[in-house]
Amino acid sequence: MTDNANTARPAKSIITFISRGAPYGNNRANLCLDMALASAVFEQEVNYVFLDDGVYQLLKGQDGAAIGGKTLGSALETLALYGIDSVFADQQSLQERGIDGTDLLPSMQLIDSDAVAKLIEKSDTVFNL
Amino acid sequence: MSCLHTINRSPGSNLLKSCLSVINAGDAILFIEDGVYYCSQELNLKGIIETVKIYGLREDMLARASLSKSTERVETIDMTRFVELCCEHDKIVSWF
Repeated sequence: MTDNANTARPAKSIITFISRGAPYGNNRANLCLDMALASAVFEQEVNYVFLDDGVYQLLKGQDGAAIGGKTLGSALETLALYGIDSVFADQQSLQERGIDGTDLLPSMQLIDSDAVAKLIEKSDTVFNL
Repeated sequence: MSCLHTINRSPGSNLLKSCLSVINAGDAILFIEDGVYYCSQELNLKGIIETVKIYGLREDMLARASLSKSTERVETIDMTRFVELCCEHDKIVSWF
């Protein structure tokens, strides 16, 4: 039995990350992304949701160099490289901020708040940053 | 005695509301950092009286892809102009 416990792969859990911070002003957006990428490396099932001010991270044409930083938009494209395909943006958050589909980075799935609630319900762990 | 108010958080922060409750005619508001998101929707600037000038910092808008969405009432400025504004006004009040 102990042998089994030692050799068993860690259980796969569903982790949902809710990114609610605008980019550049503070490092919350970067931290949330780092946690998700680390989870993906350890083969966890990751959902990534942009909510509230987090949707500002999705605007096309960002240029971090203008303020001497890195562009977060391009970092987000690494989500797919790490095998994270469940990337969602909250429709109401976009609407409230006057952002429409044409302003967004590609491969974003738009969902409503009920769908976010369901994602949370299905998850084993939720990080809200 | 005019005053330059700077706001550095997104509209969700309600900082503008606090600022507007104590602002004087002839003052100016400058949106910096995450504050530049205020400039992308006319609705966000509702309540700012005509005699108050509105500025937005171009560098921060460029970084956040919000320069092209900036509304007409907002004059976009660079760092040099930011420094000039600080000198032109008697006081600076930072809302953060």
